[in-house]
Amino acid sequence: MTVCQFFLQGRCRFGDRCWNEHPGARGAGGARPPPASQQLSASNRRGWNASSQRYSNVIQPSSFSRSTPWGGSRGPDQASFGSSTGSGFGAAQRPFASLSSGDQDEQKLLEGIVKDVEVWESSGQWMFSAYSPLKTQPPVAGFTDISPEELRLEYHNFLTSNNLQSYLNSVQQLITQWKNRINQLKTINKSNRVALLPNLNNGVNQAAPALGFGSTQARMFGSSGSSKSVQNFSFKTSPGFAPATSGSPSVFGTLPALGAVPSAGSAVSASTPAFGFGKPQITSAASFSFKTPAASGFGSAGFSAAPTSLAGSPFGAAMALAFGGGTSVAGFGSPGSQSHTAFSKPSNNIFGSSSIPTSLPVSNVISATDKVLFTPKDQLTQEELEQFQSKKFTLGKIPLKPPPVELIHI
Amino acid sequence: MSLFGTTSKFGSNGSSVGTFGSAAADHHNPMKDIEVTSSPDDSIGCLSFSPASLPGNFLVAGSWANDVRCWEVQDNGQTVPKAQHIHAGPVLGVCWSDDGSKVFTASCDKTAKMWDLNSNLAIQIAQHDAPIKTVHWIKASNYRCVMTGSWDRTLKFWDTRSSNPVMALQLPERCYCADVVYPMAVVATARRGLIVYQLENQPSEVRRVESSLKFQNRCVAIFKDKHNKPNGFALGSIEGKIAFHYLNVPNSVKDSFTFKCHRSNRANSSGSQDIYAVNGMAFHPIHGTLATVGSDGRFNFWDKDGRAKLKTSEPLDQPISACCFNHNGNIFAYASSYDWSKGHEFYNPKRKNYIFLRNAAEELKPRNGK
Repeated sequence: MTVCQFFLQGRCRFGDRCWNEHPGARGAGGARPPPASQQLSASNRRGWNASSQRYSNVIQPSSFSRSTPWGGSRGPDQASFGSSTGSGFGAAQRPFASLSSGDQDEQKLLEGIVKDVEVWESSGQWMFSAYSPLKTQPPVAGFTDISPEELRLEYHNFLTSNNLQSYLNSVQQLITQWKNRINQLKTINKSNRVALLPNLNNGVNQAAPALGFGSTQARMFGSSGSSKSVQNFSFKTSPGFAPATSGSPSVFGTLPALGAVPSAGSAVSASTPAFGFGKPQITSAASFSFKTPAASGFGSAGFSAAPTSLAGSPFGAAMALAFGGGTSVAGFGSPGSQSHTAFSKPSNNIFGSSSIPTSLPVSNVISATDKVLFTPKDQLTQEELEQFQSKKFTLGKIPLKPPPVELIHI
Repeated sequence: MSLFGTTSKFGSNGSSVGTFGSAAADHHNPMKDIEVTSSPDDSIGCLSFSPASLPGNFLVAGSWANDVRCWEVQDNGQTVPKAQHIHAGPVLGVCWSDDGSKVFTASCDKTAKMWDLNSNLAIQIAQHDAPIKTVHWIKASNYRCVMTGSWDRTLKFWDTRSSNPVMALQLPERCYCADVVYPMAVVATARRGLIVYQLENQPSEVRRVESSLKFQNRCVAIFKDKHNKPNGFALGSIEGKIAFHYLNVPNSVKDSFTFKCHRSNRANSSGSQDIYAVNGMAFHPIHGTLATVGSDGRFNFWDKDGRAKLKTSEPLDQPISACCFNHNGNIFAYASSYDWSKGHEFYNPKRKNYIFLRNAAEELKPRNGK
């Protein structure tokens, strides 16, 4: 649908009721601020849009010194945001305009995801559905698309083969897997956004989702030769994996077990195996990503190492967030202590997050992704180097390139 | 076609109408619509009315009891069961040929059959590797064929005389729903895939559309413009939302919109809702207004040009799983049966499944009388 022009300027009168699309604004962070004319204070803006939600992220780069995370207390911060970062900002920070808006996009995206997920959980909506945070983006990994008819057919098949219990178990596993994923997404914010990334990365692996039902879907698991290697990986990483009980039910049964592992934190490794089959090019990515047990570690690795195979959809949000938008997922242990540097580039995010085992995978990935995520030291100007080395970025001198590998302290 | 009689005329038919009159605490038919006799024994997956080329109205319904039944719907509202044929698996799609002599049925037994109503013989005309979800008859200027969409991710086109498809197109994912209004066809797949095809000369893919909805596709229906040419489609998802996509229109991005439906606000907490899937949609053949049915057990009528809701029904006690208009838009048929939206726990095999017929000539007139 059409994007609401007023919303983009931060002054849509209809808010939630508006017929047009408010990008990422479904309960998420509100409009991107008008580029230079930020004379309206935040409260004023809120007044205009009685029914729309938080108009938080007014301007970010100014908040270098602010240590409160995005996801958290935004209420009291709003006024100060609006007014303090107001007009003085636009001109001076022109060079960073795209970066800040990208940051906001991402923030909105995350908030949108959280809200959607909460609604999804509470509304009794059909669980087994693919989900995309924004319509233009590919589905978030970790969700399988199963239509009610497919599930029902499974029920009938199992019923006739007198194997209802395994159907019930499988369904239960699917549900658990879904719930885990939902819980993961509910707590998503900038600091653990990385969990989304590799999952988005592996979205493509979901081409053959959990329907390892019956014989026709056997290809999911054993029939395609390439899947074997992936299978092995998946077995390793999911200790909870229950070996097949019998024929077809086992095929199905295995998937959720794998899928259920995400709760253990290695989100990607769990979800991908379940879905990575059937498409030859995927296995390369999948197997690649499996090399590093770290969830996020191969998010980026996956991107650069297997760009063609993964170049498709799954990147969608990840790319936009991590790379395309040149944005920032702040709060990742970026240089210095600021959690919000608008410029903590994807590299920082991915590697700085606590959920990542750092040692081995990092080094692996770094070499692979050097060019994309980090700038070799010699490509940085002196000034940029200084900026990276200093405790805080100085306004007006914030480098536009990612920091060099050497300067990252994890 | 004369108006349907009131329910009282119908009261004498068959046992299925037993408790019909006393609908006291029973919400199986709150709208007091006409109930079809001998309705299938299990959930109804699809409904289809006969085309205009056949005099009278014949309704076919495919069900999860593996059968396809055909009724004649008479002018006074009586429905007379005429015939049925059985598949080896639940029937997910039905479609009439353009001359009204054959019915094509698609089933989970991975086959589609052509049922000749005159001779009551059914022969297999299509084979897939996985259950076939949709079947449509295509009548082009230079060819005629049956299009089947399946969970094996292919879209195949069959000349009914040959056992090999005349064409097979690859889909990105399993086919969940499709619609054909010559020369346009739309297929919605798993993982929010949407593909538009043009059918002139031979079917070919025109483009992939980015779905405006965030969740799984559930049903799709093509609408026509003033000149009776297909110019877009409506897409329903499991999330109680419908998106209208205009195609071939200068401002297609601007004109496309989504709206929420089949949701219910909970009494206690404002803002939280129960969200239901949109199970089926159909455009009124004359007025171009849209009818949707959902898991909440309601049907709604919408005017897409006026962006207005024309009517919401009372909730039935079961989800409504399918709907369909007859060829002149006088009859709206909807099926009340469990759609598995809440899993197996809520499945009661003993529950009766109904198909209701409603007079649709008046209620679907557009708001502005466009």
